[in-house]
Amino acid sequence: MKALFLGNVAVDTYNGIKDEIPADLETAVVLNPADLTPEHTAQAEILVSNHWKAEYPPAPQLRLVQSVATGIDLFELAALPKGAAVCNCFGHETSIAEYIIMTWLALHHRLFAIAGEFREHGSWASSWVQSGAPHGEVRNTTLGIVGYGRVGQEVARRAAPFGCRILAANRSTREAGAGVERVYPLAELDAMLPECDTVAICTALGPETTGLITAHRLSLMKPAAFIINIARGPVIDEEALYAALSDNKIGGAAIDVWWQYPSVAEPNRRGSRHPFHELPNVIVTPHNSGWTGGMIRRRWDENAENIRRFCRGDSLINLVATI
Amino acid sequence: MKTLFLGALAARVAPRILAKMAEKDKIEPTIQADLNDQQKMIPALAEAEIVVCHIWREDFPQAPRLKLMQTATAGIDWIEIPALPSGVTVCNVFGHEPAIAEYIMGTMLALTLRLFQTVEDFRGGSWGGHQPAGGSPHGEIFGRTIGIVGYGRIGRDVAKRAASFGCKVIAANRSPIADKGDAAEIYPLAELDQMLPHCDVVVVAAGLAPETRNLLDARRIGLMKPTALVINIGRAPIINEDALFDALSNNRLGGAALDVWWQHFQPDQPNRRPSRHPFQELRNVLMTPHCSGFTDGTSDRRWGDLAANLDRFVRGETLHNIVLHT
Repeated sequence: MKALFLGNVAVDTYNGIKDEIPADLETAVVLNPADLTPEHTAQAEILVSNHWKAEYPPAPQLRLVQSVATGIDLFELAALPKGAAVCNCFGHETSIAEYIIMTWLALHHRLFAIAGEFREHGSWASSWVQSGAPHGEVRNTTLGIVGYGRVGQEVARRAAPFGCRILAANRSTREAGAGVERVYPLAELDAMLPECDTVAICTALGPETTGLITAHRLSLMKPAAFIINIARGPVIDEEALYAALSDNKIGGAAIDVWWQYPSVAEPNRRGSRHPFHELPNVIVTPHNSGWTGGMIRRRWDENAENIRRFCRGDSLINLVATI
Repeated sequence: MKTLFLGALAARVAPRILAKMAEKDKIEPTIQADLNDQQKMIPALAEAEIVVCHIWREDFPQAPRLKLMQTATAGIDWIEIPALPSGVTVCNVFGHEPAIAEYIMGTMLALTLRLFQTVEDFRGGSWGGHQPAGGSPHGEIFGRTIGIVGYGRIGRDVAKRAASFGCKVIAANRSPIADKGDAAEIYPLAELDQMLPHCDVVVVAAGLAPETRNLLDARRIGLMKPTALVINIGRAPIINEDALFDALSNNRLGGAALDVWWQHFQPDQPNRRPSRHPFQELRNVLMTPHCSGFTDGTSDRRWGDLAANLDRFVRGETLHNIVLHT
């Protein structure tokens, strides 16, 4: 049996799992797609990659297409042979949930302002002995999770022991429980937003979620509420969010995903047309909330597991589509 | 029943405590903010049956009628116990433990996920932490071992929260612990040296006492992993100031979040640096001005609990949070 590992992430994956996949599996490891030849592709039954293009040499024998990422939008599915199983992998939900809880705490505790003033100026203004204004805590606040999938559920599990109230909204019907008081249908999001002290956006980008958080919906939030976005930039209206934050219509934000990204020509391109990075009430990070050593290891493990299952003829995990 | 709210802190919060009391008509409150004003201190202490204050000093005037010394803090290290008259019950207050547990989880995550560095770089325009830009991955607390030194109320609240992140929690405590809570293992404090090498994070949540002063000295810091994080919300002198600065500045520890300090602001030095050493110049240190427990929620819980204890005393009921009797 032959497997093709294609592209930089797949090459790293191969190096990480080569001792965990069957020794008799014949492997071709190709970093640069321009180097692909029919010799690599003609007999391959397994493809491990983050993409596939119709222009590549034909791979008519493929039966397992294992994505090294969660999204499969870079695979040209029409170019894959009929019957091929397309599987993805996860492993980021743990790290992203940690990012959300971290920024949720940092925003409520005013951690950047307090630590910044203490480091830069030696200001003790926030000390309890000095009787500065107390900061907030998350206990007894309400956390609203928009998109109650893998990430959202991991967030709820970690948030519950903090003694907060947890609400969620989801496109498809989901059970409440596990600390979550109620799961609203996404169509009833407007009823959830005014309840929340923090809104965490954990939904996928799709037709129903593009532009979901409009100026109107931001105005339904409490004036001190925080919004955290780890999903995709376009779920929130860029103009409306900048306006709400710069006019203090909401309390603050943590933004990990953006409306525009760097390119080779512009490596330091800003993530937005608006200077979010200049706002003191905004925590800005470069789309790295899930990017941990642990996530990489978990994805490797899921890739290796599926390759072993395929070689044994067992049922696959993380099946997204069958061509 | 004459009640004296003594010192700047008690004077400031007295109205909030009184507002929460059921028996406030029976306590005849006096407020005396300045501890050095002997003229006013002498008559006030001569009468007082209850003193609300977190400080007691040998040079205070006689307090012959004192029965209840109700501190306005959890720590009693500013109270000179031998200087108190005999027959006094000392009670403390809590209510800060959820807030401090939140601070500990927040700073543990911020240090592990390199939040401050990432935000600073990104504000400057660098996408360095971004995967397609070739950024190096950051850490996560999943699967890490957290060692809590001093397994009291705060330690338990941390353990409960950390368990849901998939962390292993171990702890060391002076006295034996019957209910381990969410901790996997409890070491006697005397066996701290066995615990420290296992820890990815060491949380100091102990009170300051003879057994805990200078507890984390250069030798014990040397037992920790070179990547370990130290979080101190207890009292600064539990950690050796020189040894901690030395370890952090030479990368023999991964980082630290410090909320308690070896020196504090003074009236003539409001922006006094909190240590002889320039911790503010270390990139791997997250530093805050003794504010971890200072949330709006703590105030509500703490002054409510304190008011309820004064009510109990007035009614002759059993007091809560008794630390000792003199």
